[in-house]
Amino acid sequence: MASALQSFSSSVLSASGLRKTYPSGDRVLAVLSGVDLTVAAGESVSIRGESGSGKSTLLNILAGLDRPDAGELFWAAEAAHQLSLGELTARRGRFLGMVFQSYYLIPELDAFANVLMGARMVGGVGAAERARATALLQRVGLAERGHHLPSHLSGGERQRVAVARALMNRPQVILADEPTGNLDERTGDSIIELLLGVCAEEKTALVLVTHNPAHAAKTARQLFLHDGRFV
Amino acid sequence: MPWPLYLALKQLFPSGRRLPFFTIISIMGVGLGVALMLVSTSVMGGFGHQIKQMIIDTQGEVQIRGRRPMEATEAVESAIAQVPAVAAAAPYAQGVVMLEYEHHPAFPVIQGFDLERIRQVIPLERYLTAGALDDLDDDSVILSSLLAESLGVGVGGKVSIYSPLMLERMKRNEVLLPREVRVAGIFRIGHQQLDSSTVICSLRLMQDLYGLQQLIHGYNVRLKPGADPDAAVAALDALLPPVAQALTWFDANADFQAVLSFERNMIFFLLTFIVVVAAFSITSSLLVTVVRKTREIGLLGAMGGRARSVAACFCFQGLFIGAGGTVAGLGLGFLLLHYRNALVQFIASFTMGQEVFVKFYQFSNLPAHTEPKDVVIIVVFSIIASTLAGLIPAWRAARLKPVEALRSE
Repeated sequence: MASALQSFSSSVLSASGLRKTYPSGDRVLAVLSGVDLTVAAGESVSIRGESGSGKSTLLNILAGLDRPDAGELFWAAEAAHQLSLGELTARRGRFLGMVFQSYYLIPELDAFANVLMGARMVGGVGAAERARATALLQRVGLAERGHHLPSHLSGGERQRVAVARALMNRPQVILADEPTGNLDERTGDSIIELLLGVCAEEKTALVLVTHNPAHAAKTARQLFLHDGRFV
Repeated sequence: MPWPLYLALKQLFPSGRRLPFFTIISIMGVGLGVALMLVSTSVMGGFGHQIKQMIIDTQGEVQIRGRRPMEATEAVESAIAQVPAVAAAAPYAQGVVMLEYEHHPAFPVIQGFDLERIRQVIPLERYLTAGALDDLDDDSVILSSLLAESLGVGVGGKVSIYSPLMLERMKRNEVLLPREVRVAGIFRIGHQQLDSSTVICSLRLMQDLYGLQQLIHGYNVRLKPGADPDAAVAALDALLPPVAQALTWFDANADFQAVLSFERNMIFFLLTFIVVVAAFSITSSLLVTVVRKTREIGLLGAMGGRARSVAACFCFQGLFIGAGGTVAGLGLGFLLLHYRNALVQFIASFTMGQEVFVKFYQFSNLPAHTEPKDVVIIVVFSIIASTLAGLIPAWRAARLKPVEALRSE
């Protein structure tokens, strides 16, 4: 236990013995059956698995959006599994950033405002935050398109905005749930390159859920989820 | 700016995009309700203001009434003179008589005034449509317009007055002949009741008709400009002998004022339902927005937005729609009030002639008087109703779990 705690304290994200079941008619469906995961600061980890293998459920639990039936979760040194959902929400904005398959940009806000929204939600927006949003947009190659609404951007551009938004608050970890699922292969490749590149520059850990073996191969560590366990 | 406030503003008024249809419709709904409440309360206020002016013009701001017929004694006169707020006062006596002209009877109220002093209290000349006040003496009367019309008598005609005193005399086997008087003038105040059954005569003639000798029924009192009628009444009551009591114009017509106030409040109450319906439409539109934006709401949770902040975002939207609708409604309301007479004439030209309108409704111009207090009530009510309308959608949004919201199709 002591070694586990020591391991947790040196990692940015640690989970052990995560279990999650869902009722399915008269049966109980075990989605996660004791998942252990440790992600070090700045490390990139990919998780692959068949559809329904529990990848998204695991990511939601790691993000504190869902609760495991059993197991422990540490966000840096903090025991996240002991926090209420409200307390997790309050910490989530600063601790981690999320990138989704469907981008989920706010359609009424332009790209710049979407990136800045992350800062707006955890504190305030000042000159420093504006400068960071500008720099991030520049980094993702959208310096000229900051004042374009999401509806005027391509899928790849929207995902770049989503990446910039996820990084806005300098989170310790980015959780990306199939970020290339809605993109063509070439655009998807560029998004993965971008994600890995900016995470490395920002020294942010990355947990990438993907179906694409080529994308997974670009991460430092590859995991495969099968029947609710890493194999 | 807190993010729920910022996002609410952006969702209602997105930059670089057209105003959302639901925002326009919701603002219009609240605006129409506010405009109608403003117009109706202002027009009712106009009627009230006009009636108040008419009452003050025909009675003075204050009336001193004898608990029984009283003498215009030095004590009463000196009490009136001692109150600084009083500008002038004139004694009166009044009762009911039967008036006859060429076998046409009528039963009007007759008011006798001290002709020397009444001019300082009541601007009778202003309402004369025929004849002259100077021609009024102890053998003549001034008739209200509709009364003269119903009797078919004009200025110079002679009418007979039968008073209750004649019945008293008959009990004593005495015969008192009716008093024949000349019509010295005709007046029109613009109030159906007064114009249809009022006779004005000298105080002496009224005292003769009722056998009052030197007694009077009270005084009409004109106050100095800006004087407070309630304070003047309190000062007068402190000085007057017990036989007399002072009443403000409002208290002297309390029943009538109560009816007016009731009508005004009922109209206001009924029109508030327009805003309530508009508020329901805001609720319905925002509920649709919550469903449409379920995944965005989930995203806000995933980004660290607390449930209460998500709820606040929808409450703010209700508040902004309410504020926008209220501003639009006040603008529309004041515009309608500005052009009210043109609108009334336009409508009357389709439904009835202008003359018919004036004849039945007693006015050629629609009165309007807007009390700042009413505007404040309308503004506060509509904004509160709209904000409350956002509560149900806000509650729905707050209950959404981010993980389920993000998963929704």
